[in-house]
Amino acid sequence: MNTSGSLTFELRNHLSELATLSEKMEGVGQALGLSRKCLFEINLALDELFTNIISYGFPDQCEHFIRVNVSAERGVLTVVLEDDGIAFNPVARIPPELPCTLDECKVGGLGIHLVKNLMDEVTYERRTGANVLTLKKSIEKSETV
Amino acid sequence: MDIVEVKQSGVSTFKLQGRLDSNTSQSFEKRLLDAISDGTKNVIIDFKELDYISSAGLRVILKATKTLKRQDGKIMLCAMQDYVKEVFEIAGFDSFLPIVPTLDDAFKAF
Repeated sequence: MNTSGSLTFELRNHLSELATLSEKMEGVGQALGLSRKCLFEINLALDELFTNIISYGFPDQCEHFIRVNVSAERGVLTVVLEDDGIAFNPVARIPPELPCTLDECKVGGLGIHLVKNLMDEVTYERRTGANVLTLKKSIEKSETV
Repeated sequence: MDIVEVKQSGVSTFKLQGRLDSNTSQSFEKRLLDAISDGTKNVIIDFKELDYISSAGLRVILKATKTLKRQDGKIMLCAMQDYVKEVFEIAGFDSFLPIVPTLDDAFKAF
C-alpha cells in the first residue's frame, strides 16, 4: 500500500488470478496488521465476487480486467471492485433459506450469502458501462503485531 | 492444494493442505467422488492443514455428503481452523454436517 493507505491493481478474467488476489491481499494484511481471521474473511468475500464476475460477466470470451482498489481509513477497510462485464447486481440476490437440511440444501447464491455476512456493508452501482461493488469492513488487528 | 489420502480400518481420510477454492475444488471433487464410486463408504475430511475454503469447496463437501448418504455411507469433518468453521456455520452446513475438533474424535464416530 502507498503512503496514503491505498492500493490499486488489476486482475485478468481468469481463475488463476485468485492466487494473485490472495497474494496482494496478504500484502495489505501485513501492511495494516490485520488478524488472520479478518484477512481470511476479506479474501473470501473478494474471491466469491471475483469468481462470480469472471464466471458470468463476460460472455464474449475476450480478455477483460477487473480493477481492485483497497484503502483503509479510520479503522475501516474499503475495497472497490470494478468490471466492464454485463450488468449484474449480486446485492439484490435473495439469500438462501438457512439453516437447511441436507436434502433441501441448495448451493445457488451461497457465495453472495457469505459475502453479505462477512462484510459490514456491500453496495452495488452500475456506472457508465461498469459494475462497481464497494465493500466495507471494520479492521480487526492481529494481537501479535 | 495437496491432498493426502489414508485408508485405515475401513475409513478413508482425506488430509487437505493449502487452499480449497474454485481453482482446486475440481481435483478434490474428482478424488473424493472416485473414492466413493470405488466403494469407500466411511470418509473423514481432515482440515487441520487447510488455510482457506470458499463456496466452491463447500459445494464439493455437499455433493460428496449427498452421494455418501445415498450409499448408506458416512462423512465426518475434523480439525478446522476457527475461521474455516465459521464459513460452514454462515452457510448453515453445520446443521447437517458433523464437525468435530480432532481426527481421533472423527474416528470414534465410525
